[in-house]
Amino acid sequence: MLVWSSLTRRVLFAAALSVFAAPAAFADEPKGEPILLGVSGPLTGPNAQYGAQWKKGFDLALDEVNGKGGVKGRPLQYQFEDSQADPRQTVAIAQKFVSDPKIVVELGDFSSTASMAASAIYQRAGLVQFGFTNSHPNFTKGGDYIWSSSVSQADETPRLAKYASELGFKKLAVLYLNTDWGRTSQTLFTSAAKSLGADVVAVEGYQPDEKDFRSTLVRVRDANPDVVVLISYYADGALIARQIRSVGLKTPILANGSIYSPKFIELAGDAANGVFSETNFFPGEPRPEVQNFVTKFRARYNEDPDTFNAVAYDTIVLMSQVFDKFGTDRAAIRDGLAKITDVPSVIFGKATFDPQTRRVAGARAVYLVVKDGKFTPWDGAKPTTN
Amino acid sequence: MNSFIDYTINGLVVGNIYALLAVGLALIFGVANLINFAHGSVYTIGAYVGCAAITFLRTPLPLTILVVAVPCGALGALIERVALRPLQGRARIAPLLATIGLSFVLDQLVQLVASPNPRALPADLPDWRLNVGGGSIGPMDLLIAGVGLASAGLLYGFLRFTKLGYAVRATAQDRDAARQMGVNVDAVNSAVFAIASALGGVSGLLVGMYYNHIDPTMSFQATLKGVVAVVIGGVGNVPGAIVGSLLLGLTESYGVALFGTTYRNLFAFALLILFLVLLPNGLFGGRKAVEAEPLTGTFIAPSRALRAPAWLIAAAALAAFALPFGWPSPYLLQTLTNAWLAGLLALSLTLVAGTAGQMSFGHAGLLAIGGYASALLATDWGVSPLVSVPVAGALTSVIGTALVFPAFRLRGHYIAIATLAIGEIVGLVILNWESLTHGAMGVSGIPPLSAFGFEATSARAVYWLTLAALVAFALLQARLSSSHIGRTLRALRDDEVAARAHGVEVARYKALAFGFAGFGAGISGAISAHLYTYLNNQTFDSQLSLLAVTMATLGGMGNILGAILGALALVGLPEAFRFAAEYRILIYGLVLLALVRFRPQGLLGTA
Repeated sequence: MLVWSSLTRRVLFAAALSVFAAPAAFADEPKGEPILLGVSGPLTGPNAQYGAQWKKGFDLALDEVNGKGGVKGRPLQYQFEDSQADPRQTVAIAQKFVSDPKIVVELGDFSSTASMAASAIYQRAGLVQFGFTNSHPNFTKGGDYIWSSSVSQADETPRLAKYASELGFKKLAVLYLNTDWGRTSQTLFTSAAKSLGADVVAVEGYQPDEKDFRSTLVRVRDANPDVVVLISYYADGALIARQIRSVGLKTPILANGSIYSPKFIELAGDAANGVFSETNFFPGEPRPEVQNFVTKFRARYNEDPDTFNAVAYDTIVLMSQVFDKFGTDRAAIRDGLAKITDVPSVIFGKATFDPQTRRVAGARAVYLVVKDGKFTPWDGAKPTTN
Repeated sequence: MNSFIDYTINGLVVGNIYALLAVGLALIFGVANLINFAHGSVYTIGAYVGCAAITFLRTPLPLTILVVAVPCGALGALIERVALRPLQGRARIAPLLATIGLSFVLDQLVQLVASPNPRALPADLPDWRLNVGGGSIGPMDLLIAGVGLASAGLLYGFLRFTKLGYAVRATAQDRDAARQMGVNVDAVNSAVFAIASALGGVSGLLVGMYYNHIDPTMSFQATLKGVVAVVIGGVGNVPGAIVGSLLLGLTESYGVALFGTTYRNLFAFALLILFLVLLPNGLFGGRKAVEAEPLTGTFIAPSRALRAPAWLIAAAALAAFALPFGWPSPYLLQTLTNAWLAGLLALSLTLVAGTAGQMSFGHAGLLAIGGYASALLATDWGVSPLVSVPVAGALTSVIGTALVFPAFRLRGHYIAIATLAIGEIVGLVILNWESLTHGAMGVSGIPPLSAFGFEATSARAVYWLTLAALVAFALLQARLSSSHIGRTLRALRDDEVAARAHGVEVARYKALAFGFAGFGAGISGAISAHLYTYLNNQTFDSQLSLLAVTMATLGGMGNILGAILGALALVGLPEAFRFAAEYRILIYGLVLLALVRFRPQGLLGTA
């Protein structure tokens, strides 16, 4: 009983610590002064789910890095400030981080609205703002301290268009999430698809809080497409997949990579079957980075990781390598990001930044199709029409 | 033609779903004369309770409905007893704010318990579909329609033929008279909240099953659509709520058919405004409904304002100006800068809502107009911020006043709903008017504030600038309030009929108040735009409008110092509770509830 209570106390203590900052206290924790990363992201508000997904990816990577002795004997830690993805709060957080000499780099925020409002502060203060979910084409134009490892839509959407063409689709209807991300993707996709000889017969943007798509889908149906292309996140993508048959639309669905999540299957149910998709990250991929990540993630959280977990994990791995090779001076980190090459990455395989655009090119891609409630690699079979 | 049938069916299907929530809202509105913003939270809780019952207990559907209805009904009665009954007889803004605070608390509790991830809520229903037109409807559609109609029918019968129903109607008509006739008004209220909330919980369950999707943030949009449907149907009218919901669903569906999906909510809110202007009693409200709104200014708590001595105010202002010399952290300066910008917003709101009595729930729309005006002038037309910021203020003043103009003849809750809708419309127009506003891409690369070659980029410079703007506006507004204009505005707030009888051109004075208020809010939005360097349609969202209302109420409606204090508190509180990360919205909601309960006239009292 005594043992039990002391254990409980330790667990409670660890839990209490993790509320305030990074998870601490593991057996072979390196003893040096911690290297602190500032994270600005949503833990409450409408995007809270994504902040929660980040944390899982971060924590897993920290375990791994710190378990190997940290960076030159110093453990990595992060300080997560809840921004609710609200620009008024991200600017305050930015001032907090830039004036705290312990923070060596900033990660996030989630949405462009929130991240780009704070960019000017990071740029002027000379603290790297590293946005790993920021696909807005102007995000890294904020200055030479603004970097992103978000998969470039200029890379990803032509690949989706190529997949559509390989599947033999000629008349495409595009449904997109009407945010800066969805709008960028839709424009790039449409032009890529046209250059591959396909017709885009309908384009419909929808609001992030939309739940009902029946009337939208009637519009799509009347345009007579042979495929419905989704530029969606998993939650809205699942809603559309479930409603598509209810308006008598029998065409297959081809969805972009960001629907890739175990949650998509859960939310879409049977309607997920037959959905074509592609992903930068697929747990079944045999690459060692992927297998290492997936095995550890399943062991720790007892669930399959999704893309948001993977990008957060990748970011910590990348930063630990930058710190290791180039030190933890703020300017050195910026210079290091430009110089570092071939960082092992779940998303990119090997990540190298283009110092001009401050982005990474060449995300990995696996073509997928959902079969019997599971994402499986595409076997090359074209869909049987209707 | 075939598709026309489909759009009609789809409109009815969606209307069906809105109706489930609207019926409960209408019932509460009818009896307690209150838009219950917490109703959506009960709906969320119902969905989660149902999800837990199905996952852990594997309950069949009829039992699940019961398992959801009972605790949600109890929760409704609890809300009424603990949060709303103590506010009886207080200004009507108090219970309204209490329900907003409650919705924060309840939504956040759901998120803490169930995680923010969306969940699937599978329905165990047979897998057949009925072909209608080109599409089909399933058993869930019929079940929802059945529950909606049955509950409306039962409620109608209950209200018309039972003794308690008789008491409910009496209370709805005249609470005081009912009490004098021996009706236990509290018990009636309690029963109404329990019934409506049980229904709300069940609707959350059914809608969650329908979409196979529940998440902790589903409440706000649901409440919003429910309120629209209720107003269209005629407030407090249960069958009206159903017809209103169906009409709303149809309008949205035809809107999508004609113009595309991104215009959907624009149609919903335009329909609302149309009804408020042309038929404020709704389809079934009759003539009585508007009369039930008080003729005197009891929407806002009357009280004696606390007066701070002039030397104290001057000293505080000086201290604020001197603060940057003490080398505080840039974080503190930035937080205070945010507070000063919020203060401009609160000043603007406290003038129209407090001094002129025109509650506005869409004030963030003014920030958006100002922000976009200045940002677009500075980026697309190359205008210097020195010019673009004041021009943005003037534009906001004109556009904002023009937008609210049709709502001038509304009172109390109605103007609150109308302005809420106008705020949403501004955001939707910004999203859809791509050629001007760049749509969802937003405006990036907005230059920092600058004048004569000097760029205000440091935390100190921006701090001084925003503080100076705030102080200037506060002084102007103080002058305005103490002039004959301020006196006239307060007169029409306290009794519009009497003011008109004394020859006051009511619309002209309201326009004056909105014009001045729009200028201040526009300047705040414009400065924010240059501060953030990036704007999109989500930068100034409806949550910010609610925050503005809270700030003005907290400080004391119409109270200039109060507004600034309220802004300082509400920007500062979440920052102060930053260490509590996931819990801070919860704390914020609880603080709001406590304030409304114990000091509804605000910290400094209404002026």
